[in-house]
Amino acid sequence: MSTFSVSFRDANGVRILDLHGELDAHTASDLEESIQQCHAEGNVNLLINGTDLDYISSAGLGVFMAYVEEIRDDGGDIKIAGLQSKVYNVFDLLGFPVLFDICETEEEALARFEEPAPDAGNASS
Amino acid sequence: MPLTRLRSQWDALRLPDFTSDAWRGVLISLVVVGYALGIGYHLTSWAAGVAPALAWRVGYHASIVLCYASLWLLLSASFRQIDRSPVRLFLYAVLAGVTYLVLASLVQALGAGQGLLAGDGNVAGLDYQRRVPLTIAAVVKVNLLSLLEVTFTMLILLLLRSLVFYRRTRSSLFNWRLMMGFFVTAALLTFMRNPADDLGGVVALAMIPAVGMAVVNSFRLSWIVYLPFREKMATMGLALVLMVMLGFSLGDGVLPDVSSYTRFYSFPLSVFALLAALFGILYCVTTMLSLLFHLPTTGAFQRKADEVAAIQSLTHLISQVFDLDKLSRTIVASPIDAHSGDVAWLLLMRPGASEPLHLQAVQGAAAADVQETMDIEALFAEVQETQDVLLLDEAPSDRRVRTHPDGAFESLLVVPLLARDDVLGALFVAKDVRYGFETDDVKAIRVFAAQAALALDNARLFEERLEKERMHRELAIAREVQQKLLPQQIPSLRGTSIAASSVSAYEVGGDYYDFVRLDDDRLAFIVGDVAGKGTSGAFYMAEMQGIFRSLSRQAPEPHEFLVAANQALNTTLDRRAFISVVYGILDVGREEFRLARAGHCPVALIDLYGEARLLRSGGIGLGLNEGALFEQSLEVCTERLQPGDVFVLYTDGVVESRNAAGEEYGYTRLKASLQEHRHEDADDLHEALLCDLHTFLGAETYDDDLTLVVVKWHGLPIGVSSPVPQASALSLPT
Repeated sequence: MSTFSVSFRDANGVRILDLHGELDAHTASDLEESIQQCHAEGNVNLLINGTDLDYISSAGLGVFMAYVEEIRDDGGDIKIAGLQSKVYNVFDLLGFPVLFDICETEEEALARFEEPAPDAGNASS
Repeated sequence: MPLTRLRSQWDALRLPDFTSDAWRGVLISLVVVGYALGIGYHLTSWAAGVAPALAWRVGYHASIVLCYASLWLLLSASFRQIDRSPVRLFLYAVLAGVTYLVLASLVQALGAGQGLLAGDGNVAGLDYQRRVPLTIAAVVKVNLLSLLEVTFTMLILLLLRSLVFYRRTRSSLFNWRLMMGFFVTAALLTFMRNPADDLGGVVALAMIPAVGMAVVNSFRLSWIVYLPFREKMATMGLALVLMVMLGFSLGDGVLPDVSSYTRFYSFPLSVFALLAALFGILYCVTTMLSLLFHLPTTGAFQRKADEVAAIQSLTHLISQVFDLDKLSRTIVASPIDAHSGDVAWLLLMRPGASEPLHLQAVQGAAAADVQETMDIEALFAEVQETQDVLLLDEAPSDRRVRTHPDGAFESLLVVPLLARDDVLGALFVAKDVRYGFETDDVKAIRVFAAQAALALDNARLFEERLEKERMHRELAIAREVQQKLLPQQIPSLRGTSIAASSVSAYEVGGDYYDFVRLDDDRLAFIVGDVAGKGTSGAFYMAEMQGIFRSLSRQAPEPHEFLVAANQALNTTLDRRAFISVVYGILDVGREEFRLARAGHCPVALIDLYGEARLLRSGGIGLGLNEGALFEQSLEVCTERLQPGDVFVLYTDGVVESRNAAGEEYGYTRLKASLQEHRHEDADDLHEALLCDLHTFLGAETYDDDLTLVVVKWHGLPIGVSSPVPQASALSLPT
C-alpha cells in the first residue's frame, strides 16, 4: 500500500516537516501525530515541505485544518512549500491557497515567517 | 519358534458358539442325560452289590466326563458376558462358597453313621475296593456332593477368569487356555482309576505344569491398581474368606470326605476340582499380597486419575462453552479437584476496560482474602514479562505477599495463560503448606493453564466474531439508509436529459448528488464529496442532504445557497472534515446554467462541436472557513446554454482513480471520452464514460467513492414554449 513518512528539521526557529510518499485517509493520522508532537514541544512556526510528497487526498488536507487554528492562536502559523504541481492542484481546487501561505520554495516560506502577520494570519479570525 | 506357532494355532482355534440356543439345548440335554445315567448306574450297582462289567464302567465314566464337560461349557458361555467390578466378583465367589458349604453339610448329614466300613481310604457308605455304594444314602451323597463340589470349583474358576482376562492380551488368553489344557490333561490321565488308588507318578508329573501355569495366571492382577482404597480393603477381606473356604473344601476339616465322594464318582472330576481349588487359593494369596503392597500408593494413583478427569472435563469445555463465567469457574475448580492446590483463582486481561485486570473467579477462599493478602497485579506483571511459571515455595517471605492469619497461602504458583503469543491472564494456585507444590503438581497445573488458555481464547474469538457479524449487519443497514438519501427519481426538465449514479467504495460513503425542481423552468443541482474520517462521512452527507433539500428552495441562487450552507455546516463539522460541492441552477427559461464551485472538482463542459472546458471558478470547500474568506473567494459562473451542450459533474473518484500501474484516469482521458461520445444522450453518454473508466482501471472495484452526473441540453424547438419529450427522468441503480 501507500507509504508515508515525516522527518523534522529546524531552521531559524522554524520547525520544518519534510513529507515523503502518499498522504491519504490511512496515513493522515501519522501527519496528525507529527504536527501534534511539534506543537506540544512548543513549536508554533511550522513549515510543511512537500517536495517529496507524491500524492494527497482530501482526508490528508483535513489534517492541516485540524491544527492551524490552535497554532495561529498561539501566535504561530503553518506554511506550506515546495509542492509538486499535481499535489498543488489538489490544494488549489479546495481553495487552500486562500487559507494557507503556500510558497514555491522553502526559502521563500522561511522568509515569510520573518514578516509580521501576513494576510493568511488575519484570514482565520 | 514352536511356541509362537503353537500360540497362533491356539488363537486360530474357534470354539462353536455355545451361547446359541441350539447348542445350549444340546448341552443341557447332555448334562441331564449324563447325570441321570450316573444315578442309574450307582443305583444299579448298589442293588447288585457288585461293580458292573468293564464295558458298563467305561460307558459310565465317559458319560460323566461328557456330562461335566457340557456343564463347564454351559457355565462358561453364561459367564462370558459378565463384566463386574472385582469386589463384586469376589463377593459372588464367597456367596457361591457359602452356598456350597451349607448345601454340602446338609447332604453330608444324610444317613450319617450308616454302612461304615473299616479300612483305609474307605468313606462312609462306600466300598472303594469293590467300587459299590453300600447304602441308598451313599448313592444320593455321591451324586449330589460331586455335583456341588465340581460346580463350585467351576464357578470359582470362571469368576477368576474374568479377573485374569482384565486388560487381556494375546499371551494372557494363551496362558489361561494352556492352564485349562493342563488341568484337563492331568484329570483325564486318571480316567477309570480305582478311587482307592493314589494319584500315581504320571498324574503327579502331569500336575506339575498345571500348577506351574496356575502360578503364572495368578499374577494377572492388573485390575488391582485401578481400585479405590475402600474397594481394595473390601476385596482383600473377601479374598481371605474365599481362600479359607477353598482350603476347607480341599481338606478334611469342616467337610470331611467330600472329595472322597467325588473321587468315587469320577476320579478325573476330583482331580479337576482339586486343581481348580488350588488355583483359587493361589489367586487369593497373590491378590491379598498385591493389594497389601498397593494400598499405600492408592492415594497417588487416585490423584492422577482425578487429574486426568479434570483435564478431560476442561477439554470438553473448550468445544462447548463460550460463557466466560462458567468457563472460569471450571478452570479454577480443576486444580482443586485434582488435589493440586487448596485455593485457585483466575486473573484475566480485559483489553479496553478501565481496569484491564480482572479477578474472574476464586475457588477455595474469599476474593477479598486473596486481594488483601497479596498484590496479584505485581505477581501477574512478572509472569506476563517472563511468560513462564512463577513458583513461590515460601510465599509469605515474598515482598508481594502478606502473611495470612489462617496460613492459607503458604506456597503459591502463578501460571500465565498463553494463547498465540498473547498473555490472556494467569491461573493462581495456592497451598496451605510451604513447599506444597511438587514437580508433578506444577506440571499438572501447567496443563490446566494451557487448556484454560485455549478455552478462553476460543471464547474470545467467538465473541469477536459475533461482534464482527453485528457490525456487518449494522453497516448493511447504514448502506441501505444511505442509498435512500440519494434521489430515487431524477426530475424531468424540458429540453434536457439527465443521468446520474453513485457508487461507494465501502459500505457507506461520503459522496452525494441530488436534484430539486424549483419550478417549471429551474432545477437545482448538487454534487458533493465529504472528506472525513471513516463512516463519519456518511453522517455529514446526510446533513448535506437536509441542507440542500430545505435551503435550495429558500435561497436557490448559487452564491446565497453556498454561503448559507457553509454557515450551517461550520458549527457541526469536525475541524478536519469538510465538504466540497458543486451547486447550480439549470434555468431553461433563461437558457442558462448558473453554478458555483465550493472546493470541488471543476465541472466539465463540452459543446456540440467538441470544444471542452473545465469550469474552474473560485471557491473553497464548505466547512473550511467560518465566513468572510469563503464569501470573498466564491465566484458564480453563468453559462449560456447552446443546444448540444453537455455538463459533467463528478467527484474526485472519477479523475483520481488509479489503475494497476498507478496512473490516474485524469482530466485528459475524461475530455477525450466526452469528445468521442458527446452526440449521445445523457444516458448513453453516462454509460460510455463509466465504461471507459472501467476499461482504464481494469476492474470494477474502486478505492474511492465515485459519483457521475451528466446533464445534456438538447435545446427547445423554435417557437415552442411547452415541455418537449426529450427530457427523461432516470433512476440508476448503483
